[in-house]
Amino acid sequence: MNDSAGSGPARDPLAWVHGSDAPEKSSLDLGFMALSDCASLVVAATQGFAQPYGLTLNLKRQSSWANLRDRLVSGELDAAHSLYGLIYAVHLGIGGVAPTDMAVLMGLNQNGQSINLSHGLQAQGVTTPEALDHHVHQSRTKLTFAQTFPTGTHAMWLYYWLASQGIHPLQDVDSVVVPPPQMVAHLQAGRIDGFCAGEPWAASAVKHNQGFTLATSQTIWPNHPEKVLGCTQAFVDQYPNTARVLVMAVLEASRFIEQSHENRRSTAQLLSAREYLDAPLDCIEPRLLGHYDDGLGNQWQDPHALRFFANGEVNLPYLCDGMWFMTQFRRWGLLREDPDYLQVARQVQQLDLYRQAAAAVHVSASHEDTRSSQLIDGKIWDGSDPAAYARSFRLHALADHPNRQARR
Amino acid sequence: MLRILLINDTPRKVGRLKAALVEAGFEVIDESGLTIDLPARVETVRPDVILIDTESAGRDVMEQVVLVTRDQPRPIVMFTDEHDPNVMRQAIKSGVSAYIVEGIQAQRLQPILDVAMARFESDQALRAQLQARDQQLAERKRIELAKGMLMKMKSCNEEEAYTLMRRQAMSRQQKLIQVAEQIIAMSELLG
Repeated sequence: MNDSAGSGPARDPLAWVHGSDAPEKSSLDLGFMALSDCASLVVAATQGFAQPYGLTLNLKRQSSWANLRDRLVSGELDAAHSLYGLIYAVHLGIGGVAPTDMAVLMGLNQNGQSINLSHGLQAQGVTTPEALDHHVHQSRTKLTFAQTFPTGTHAMWLYYWLASQGIHPLQDVDSVVVPPPQMVAHLQAGRIDGFCAGEPWAASAVKHNQGFTLATSQTIWPNHPEKVLGCTQAFVDQYPNTARVLVMAVLEASRFIEQSHENRRSTAQLLSAREYLDAPLDCIEPRLLGHYDDGLGNQWQDPHALRFFANGEVNLPYLCDGMWFMTQFRRWGLLREDPDYLQVARQVQQLDLYRQAAAAVHVSASHEDTRSSQLIDGKIWDGSDPAAYARSFRLHALADHPNRQARR
Repeated sequence: MLRILLINDTPRKVGRLKAALVEAGFEVIDESGLTIDLPARVETVRPDVILIDTESAGRDVMEQVVLVTRDQPRPIVMFTDEHDPNVMRQAIKSGVSAYIVEGIQAQRLQPILDVAMARFESDQALRAQLQARDQQLAERKRIELAKGMLMKMKSCNEEEAYTLMRRQAMSRQQKLIQVAEQIIAMSELLG
């Protein structure tokens, strides 16, 4: 075993602090949302993973994704636990802020999000995708689904899943934005009929008998990209060594979390603290360990549960992962025209910096810049023809598509 | 608008600087002589800038400046008749952001205050970074010490010792440094 799990470069513990690779900035403010998948940042910051490199990580919990985005763009936060789609939306100038060049330093996790319906729908027998499809097309009142950010991963999982079941997410249902920790309260108050979010908020809805899990995000795309360590391109340009050691520290923390069952369990205990998730352990731990209870009496050990490392497979910022979110922005009319998908992904995904950091802490990094996946509708996504892929869906909201004209 | 606390120890000039400030469009929120309760006054009125108008920047004036910058960091601009470069050096060292010798014209005040504010901000940022670096190093040494003690106590290797400490810290919702301190304290007790 190498020394990096414990203390970084062993021979001269201060080599990083004094050498030419020393971080230009010694104290970083990192934004995060109260979600189980922020674990690697919390572990890195509190368990001394960055100290050997001369870096102090200060965790700053944010109340909403929009808040986190604004602070990331303004520079108040140096880097943050971010939705893939949030980083790309800022980069492309979709949403509330002026376009700003952004960077994805690494992937933080895969899997572990879910689509959940209210107890009320359950009482009406809407407990399967087919029943939901039927209900949506028969009922006069539109159902309202919540997601966490207009261009975020949860919006994209919700839309993709609904469309794969024959439900048009922008026409057949209404959708609203709600910060993840408030999902259960809105469900309870009957303001929403369902939501797509990360843990522990779905497990919490099940636990409080307010709803049930209809589909996990890993059934949409096994080992899908989810949260990333994001920052502005300006941060990477100004502090390249800092960015690299930050990735090294978070990679080591990710490896530590998955090193043993006990480490995962103590991670759940740490996350439960008031300053991080502020949620009971029994809402966090089971799904963090892959144990699912959907609230309908089904329990299973999920083969594609939330994961943080998997020997670095989780963390490489693949170009196709970034491009996928752009294809969905295009599909749902958030982008009026095709961007230069590959060019944009090459700008945002910091592959070189990631590979340097991975090598420094002995984490294997694929030489491939893309990977191939099959999604729930049977489509293969490998990033090879993004513009065609974006146009290949039966249900969509492509603003310039002839079909839309025909439908009117 | 900048809110200014004006400190004046030269009765013969009373009103001169204040008039210049008001003319230049600043808000003078309080005015007083130099007293030992200066830090408390700063705390109460929370000015954006402290302006000190003094005939001679003597030792006790510097003492006040040191106290203010320690407890209530604020940009401090000193206007004085004192030409001695040593006094100026001492003033800057004490925490004065700008040191202006004599002759104040209203139109020059804005750029002087702008420079003082900018310098103060960059000083603060630098100070915070240095402090973080010092603390980091100190914590790292304590963690190393605790790790060494644990390796001896449990006859384990470095990586195992780190894992044990981290697991303990995480399951008790603590930071690694807290567990390190507990190990050191316990080891001293049992020593």
